[in-house]
Amino acid sequence: MKYMRQMLCIMTLLIIAGCDSRQSAFTGLGPVSSRITLLIWIMFIGAALITLLICVLMMISISGPAGWRQKLTSKKSIVLGGIVFPTVTLTVLLIYGFLILKAGETLTQAENPVRISVVGEQWWWRVIYRHDDGRTTESANELRIPTGRPIEIELTTADVIHSFWIPAYAGKIDMIPGRTNVLHFIADKPGIVSGQCAEYCGGAHALMSFYTVAMTPSDYEAWLAKERANARPALDSQGEQVFLSSGCGGCHTVRGTQANGKIGPDLTHVGSRQSLGAGILPNTTDSFTKWITQHKSIKPENLMPPFNIFSESELQSLSAYLNSLE
Amino acid sequence: MAKPVRRRLRKLLPWGLGLFIAGVVLVLVIAYSGIFNIAASAGHPAWLEWLLMLGKERSVIVNSKPVDVPELNFVELVPLGAAHFQGGCATCHRMPGQVLNPVYDQMLPPPPDLKIHAPMWTLEQLFWIVRHGIQFTGMPSWSGQDRDDEVWAVVAFLEALPSMNVADYLKYASGNSKNSIAAKNYPASQLAGEGRPKVNHSACDRCHDTGNAPPTSPYVPRLGGQDAAYSKRALHEYHSDLRQSGFMEPIAVELDDEHINSLADYYASLKGSVGKTAESVSSKGTDPGRQLAEHGDLLRKIPACLSCHGSSKRPDYPRLTGQSEQYIRQQLQVFQRGIRAKTPHGAIMTTIAKRLNEQQIEAVAAFFANRLPAESTDHNATEGLR
Repeated sequence: MKYMRQMLCIMTLLIIAGCDSRQSAFTGLGPVSSRITLLIWIMFIGAALITLLICVLMMISISGPAGWRQKLTSKKSIVLGGIVFPTVTLTVLLIYGFLILKAGETLTQAENPVRISVVGEQWWWRVIYRHDDGRTTESANELRIPTGRPIEIELTTADVIHSFWIPAYAGKIDMIPGRTNVLHFIADKPGIVSGQCAEYCGGAHALMSFYTVAMTPSDYEAWLAKERANARPALDSQGEQVFLSSGCGGCHTVRGTQANGKIGPDLTHVGSRQSLGAGILPNTTDSFTKWITQHKSIKPENLMPPFNIFSESELQSLSAYLNSLE
Repeated sequence: MAKPVRRRLRKLLPWGLGLFIAGVVLVLVIAYSGIFNIAASAGHPAWLEWLLMLGKERSVIVNSKPVDVPELNFVELVPLGAAHFQGGCATCHRMPGQVLNPVYDQMLPPPPDLKIHAPMWTLEQLFWIVRHGIQFTGMPSWSGQDRDDEVWAVVAFLEALPSMNVADYLKYASGNSKNSIAAKNYPASQLAGEGRPKVNHSACDRCHDTGNAPPTSPYVPRLGGQDAAYSKRALHEYHSDLRQSGFMEPIAVELDDEHINSLADYYASLKGSVGKTAESVSSKGTDPGRQLAEHGDLLRKIPACLSCHGSSKRPDYPRLTGQSEQYIRQQLQVFQRGIRAKTPHGAIMTTIAKRLNEQQIEAVAAFFANRLPAESTDHNATEGLR
């Protein structure tokens, strides 16, 4: 009995966890996702009503009065209920769905959107902010957006098919090799939600997520100016020295230092992000240590070589340095 | 017709089974009784000698069938093979020009004189014997796990051995080591006190570079100018069987920490520019080796070699400038086969090496081999600028 109750508690917790609004299509934090949420409810309630109707009809056909049963089997009711009704319902739903798909685009055509490119990589996100002057700022594994302004995201991939999905803001769109897909949405109010790769893309697919931070327009502008700037010179040069001399710069860029690798995520302001390893670890000094020493077990198959060469003090100063890159 | 035969066979079956069991019991009784004399001094009776030789020869022939001779420059491998032979094999197999120490001559079977016996085997068979050893003979298998590439140096030497005179052998086997095996006019007092001069197998100069001579073979790395931290790490890895090499492990295992430290410091103090002053250098920006070394390959996710192997980098990362093409190529292939993945540093390079294709290995090996040490310092200077 006690066991049963425990199981019930666990099951309930699991189900409640599914309701976490951070990564839920029911959250509807913007006009695009609100419409999708509405569509979901329409379909859900409609389907429930139709199911109920079918149940009633079945009851009648089994044990209802003879006259009603007669009517049910007539040619007219079969044509109406079996052909006309589903055709009309599905057509209306399809057209409504298409309209919702277009909705984002028409929203953003109204005014100058915020332009961001996201490149899917095994197994992380390369995020490129496109400034009005034509220049770009590269970041990774986190999306920052202003509220109230339309957002236009160009989606491409560096390797296989990924799918970009922030359920709270918009539907998912695939990132397909050789193609550029565009996603539009608007965030209504500030907040942090999470997104996820929604198309199986190899080993660490399930661990390829990211946070999206919606900020007020003034906060966003301030953040973008900071993100655009080079990394501040390190206070403690020992960590920077370990970073540069150990070859980290072969894959990672820290703008303002010699590290200019383009293979892995840009780390110029990694310390200011919500998470490490593409939404896997909280962003703390300890997490950096954990990532450097155990990333092969934290995120199996990720493409970074194992770096188990650091002494305790090197590891500490390296982690502190990375965490200080804000 | 068939029926009587079958009936007769059925009658014989219990007899056959009985004989087989009796045979097994007899062998067990003989083994347990100890009446079979396994003394080496007793030698083998002729019938057993014949049977063992047949088994050995057939086993070598059959098992070496899948072996392919790689495309290697055998002439370049001979000095390396000779130095290893002197350090590891000559004790039992005798040095050319010397009689075999009677201790080893009393082994059963006695270790063959390879000047005579090596030509009896094909290169593939020699490889197989050196790589795997032979049971019941005292012939060990190669001590560097999976380092098949090293075994070919010994095969190259064995191929050259029959036509080698004593002077040639001594030249190859002692390499850059001044301690000549053939030293004459050795004072008796010294002889009495220190023993006959001989090349100790721990003498690095037998193969590696000295202050004024390059390594004896392009398959041997240049150590002069290498960071002490790297050399120390390499010797410790050999010492503790983490890095595999049939050449270096037997030597490193006898070195203690003090030896390792002083050797590493010694090589760090040597100038690394030996024999490499004014060779032609491909300085074009289009050279794929230079491209890979300086910028990597984004598509294949290969970082620039110099992001770790530039000279302002960690001292426990090796410098590659001036290493031969052959050595760099061979080591990259060893990395690709996962043989060096056991060490933390090797695990990093294994990941990267597996992303290189054959052409990239060739190109990058050529780039580092032809790079001038001066150029590497220049590169540092520009790298150091913020």
